Amino acid sequence: MNRSLVNSLGSIKRELVNFSHSQKFYFVLVAMAIVAIVPLFVRSDYVIGEVLTPMIIFAIYASSWNLLASSGQASLGHAAFLGIGGFASALLAIKLGLPPLIGLFLGSILSAAIGLLIGLACVRLKAWFLAMVTFGFSVIIVTLISQFDSVMGGIMGFPTPLLVPRGVPFYYMTFGFAAISILIMYLVMKSKIGLTFRAIHQNELEAKMIGINTGKYRLIAFVLSTFFAGLAGGLYAQSIRYIQVSIFDPYYSFLPLMMAVIGGLGTIEGPIIGSAIIVSIESYLPRIDPVLQGFLHPLFPSVSNVGPPLRMLGLGLFLVVVVIFAPKGVAPLIKKAYNYLRSSTSEEKT
Amino acid sequence: MITTSGLIETLLWGVANGCIYILLATGLNIIFGVMKLVNFAHGQLLMIGAYIAFAAATALGLNAYIAILVAMGLVALIGVGLERFTFRKVLGTEKLNEIFVSLGLIYVFENVAVLLWGNRSQQIASPFQGLQLSLGEVSIGYDRLLAISVVIVILIALFLLLKKTKIGLAMRATSQKSTASMLMGVNIEKVYIFTFALGAALAGAAGALYGIIFPFNPSIGALPTIKAFAIIILGGLGSIPGAVIGGLLYGIAENTAVYFLGGIWQDAIAFALLIIVLVIRPTGIFGEKGE
Amino acid sequence: MQKKLIIALIAAIVVIAVVVAGWQLTQLPSPEARSIKIGLVACYEKAEGQDMDRAAKLAVKEINDAGGVYVAEWHTSVQIELVIADTEDDTPGKAVGPVTRAVTEDQVDLLIGGYTSAGTLADEVVAIDERVPYIITGASTSLVTRRGPQANYGGLPEGDPLRIDDEEGMSYVFHYCTTTADYSKTVVNFFAETMKPLLDSTYEFDASRKLRLAILYRDDAFGKGVAADSKSIIENNNLPIDVVAERSYPTTATSFQTDLTAIKAAKPDAVYVVDFIANTAEIIKEGQRDVGLNTVYIAVECCEDPAYYTLLGEYGDKQLLESKFAPYAGPPFYLETIETYVTNYQQEYDTLPGMMGADTYDAFYIAKDAIERAGTVDKAAVRDAIESCAIDQMLIITETGKIEFSVGTDYHEIAPVTFVEQLIWNEDVGECRSKIVYPATAPGVGELKQADFVLPTAYEPGSP
Repeated sequence: MNRSLVNSLGSIKRELVNFSHSQKFYFVLVAMAIVAIVPLFVRSDYVIGEVLTPMIIFAIYASSWNLLASSGQASLGHAAFLGIGGFASALLAIKLGLPPLIGLFLGSILSAAIGLLIGLACVRLKAWFLAMVTFGFSVIIVTLISQFDSVMGGIMGFPTPLLVPRGVPFYYMTFGFAAISILIMYLVMKSKIGLTFRAIHQNELEAKMIGINTGKYRLIAFVLSTFFAGLAGGLYAQSIRYIQVSIFDPYYSFLPLMMAVIGGLGTIEGPIIGSAIIVSIESYLPRIDPVLQGFLHPLFPSVSNVGPPLRMLGLGLFLVVVVIFAPKGVAPLIKKAYNYLRSSTSEEKT
Repeated sequence: MITTSGLIETLLWGVANGCIYILLATGLNIIFGVMKLVNFAHGQLLMIGAYIAFAAATALGLNAYIAILVAMGLVALIGVGLERFTFRKVLGTEKLNEIFVSLGLIYVFENVAVLLWGNRSQQIASPFQGLQLSLGEVSIGYDRLLAISVVIVILIALFLLLKKTKIGLAMRATSQKSTASMLMGVNIEKVYIFTFALGAALAGAAGALYGIIFPFNPSIGALPTIKAFAIIILGGLGSIPGAVIGGLLYGIAENTAVYFLGGIWQDAIAFALLIIVLVIRPTGIFGEKGE
Repeated sequence: MQKKLIIALIAAIVVIAVVVAGWQLTQLPSPEARSIKIGLVACYEKAEGQDMDRAAKLAVKEINDAGGVYVAEWHTSVQIELVIADTEDDTPGKAVGPVTRAVTEDQVDLLIGGYTSAGTLADEVVAIDERVPYIITGASTSLVTRRGPQANYGGLPEGDPLRIDDEEGMSYVFHYCTTTADYSKTVVNFFAETMKPLLDSTYEFDASRKLRLAILYRDDAFGKGVAADSKSIIENNNLPIDVVAERSYPTTATSFQTDLTAIKAAKPDAVYVVDFIANTAEIIKEGQRDVGLNTVYIAVECCEDPAYYTLLGEYGDKQLLESKFAPYAGPPFYLETIETYVTNYQQEYDTLPGMMGADTYDAFYIAKDAIERAGTVDKAAVRDAIESCAIDQMLIITETGKIEFSVGTDYHEIAPVTFVEQLIWNEDVGECRSKIVYPATAPGVGELKQADFVLPTAYEPGSP
């Protein structure tokens, strides 16, 4: 087992080297530079703090879900780990007086540890059962935290201590965490470990037959995924400056799924694109709610504000449509458009 | 404080609740057994069934129990639509797509219900509302007794359908080995449509009954889905008798747990049960039929 | 000589004209004048949020139609522009964003609203940090204004993260609403002072017998808060009440028979139901219809809403409701302002108003008064003006008959008077209507009680 671990690490190192020489590397560098200088152009506190920062945090969260799904394990209760990360990092910083950075890491590690336990429970389960168990876990954890309310204070919730000041510093810190996290996840997915995940996903029986210890790799996927989900949770709790049991709501379990699938399941850019799309929709579409209400009220008299249900309906339809008609998500479509533009401009040159 | 009459009433309610779950679980089971498909939005069909029955009862002034048939019919149609336009497209593709489509459908159904009927709780007015059958200190509402009876009737009809009719035979054949049945001339597509419609109709009936006994709103679909799954796992994926026994057991267990431990455990019970069973036996207590 | 007189006269006229013109110029509306933006923080997913929306729009319409708000600094009256901050389900994750947008993007001058305790504790931080006056008309926890130094951190222990040290920022938050302690106090006092004597005389109980109370509540901050406050008030005041049963259920529950059966086994004299409209109505119906728990049920004031009366139907007959705003207990109403509001609301929206909207409606008038007295929309000045508010009570009765915010340890709270109503089935209307049964009087109103409390028809007392 040690040898295969060494092999895997070696393959990650090779991937890192390969990547740094590839064309994609420069593309990513440019993208990162753009994200880095955005605050210089965008002056609005609201946009930086409530739109862009959550986009980055959910990119981490969606990527973590994506990593797990690439091994064929679609979790419907990832919010449990988002919340564990959030609560753990906040409580460790507050109750034990640990510096928030340590709290953040310990919170992620705790999330991964619990992820290991849940992963163990799910190791032999088929996709549908695993989905139900993970969803069930996200419900049970709310009951548990509510029972221990005197220690955790989750029912009323409480403010979270900040690592860095809000606004631009927090944006850059989140960006830093995201860059490192997504890089790690990318390398894992490209390496032999990632290949093994995909093999298990494709056909678990065949994978077993060629000697892959599917249980071990499924657990690795769980631990890695829940670590980053916990990290995203700690960051999210800081971004809204509050943590409460509502972080375990099913909505937060469905979000990373929607983002990853709409963006492009199994790819590395998919969850990032998905996060950008969905956070934009949730942040900006509400502005047209009064207009919608004005037009549509006669059609839907039982609702005071047609905006939110229409929006959720739209997201649900979006997901269904993407899965049926564009199962590879939006990312490949963007790639196609990009390639088309590139090829048409290069044609012009010749 | 625990009294005998209280306990008996709790058990009776458990049976009545369990019957509704049985319908839902059986619908899910049939769809899985024949199509090997898992629809997480199944509970939303229950919710839509409740609303359709409600609309039929209020707009057309139908008797609550006649409205059950309307609900069954319309939800079956919706099921046909679902099968044709969504699930059929993802059957055979990447395994997880069913899960993703179901999830999207959950949001679609819930929000359509919110738009059409609003968030407020509704309940279907039954002509037997408030009437109770009393045996000594124990009393149970007529509506609950009727619910049990309706479920029994539907289950008998289902049994006859599966055992005695051509389509039932085709369904059973497909659930055993779909390639073999194709070779034998069974029109798989037709079987799939019919199966999904049947499963949906059962969910619609469950919803109509639910709406008579309990107040409902657009978000009541989620928990019954989990409970239906817990029952199927208890009883064995694909096994209808298993779903019946599992449903009864589950209804009783849930109610009794709430009686002794308090309401907070109502939802968590389903999940705890689910997780424990799955960890011990990943194929369910009675094992899976056909894979 | 004559020439000099004429020149002097002309000079005088010119001087007077210049002075008058100059004075007139300073009285022209300042070019800075603009409409006042008030942000409404409401959760439109719930009926209560929709009631707040209607009440807010009614208040804004009334104020604008009457000319708007006079801002001395600008020498003119301006209109109020309502900015909606829809917090959807008012969980902290969804509440903070809209409020942040209202404050930083829409640049509101003032915020009104708030619904759940957790959501408001989270979103008020935006107002505190940005120094925007926030009149909270929801949130049952007193911590919203007591978490700062002025209220000695509301009893929160040192190191508790809910504490806020920003004294200046905390001064911008006001709580125009009742707290869980307010409701519990009225309810348990009613049981001790009015119901127990009636039970004792009707059933010939010994005076030393304590009233048997069961508490059935939703398992969240609100339900737990009320249950805890009720018990502590009973204990601290040595009230003759025994809490014989206490059951809670998850917030997602829609059916309560099992809990009711367990309560029935405890043989209570009364049941205190702590939940919102839909569940409370369901509990009271199931209790009587399905479980045979024929006792008297008392609901919390957030059930004071048309939807509640409709859902309850006949099962509400002789049941109780603790309230602070009773649109159904009249006409004639105990306060003229209520009559006017109910009439106007009904005319505008074809439905009766609820309780959440009443606080919100008043808050707009508090804001108008504050801005006019401050003479400016400068937020610090408006904050000071709200703190010194002394307008007559409007839809909520106060202990002094005026709307006044305390500066003691009950920092920036008002002293509301809450009362208990009994619902009576009204055949003509097809719904219950209510009458106030406790307390007998209230300052600023005089006689408050409208009818005597009677036991429900099928009432069965608890075990003696």
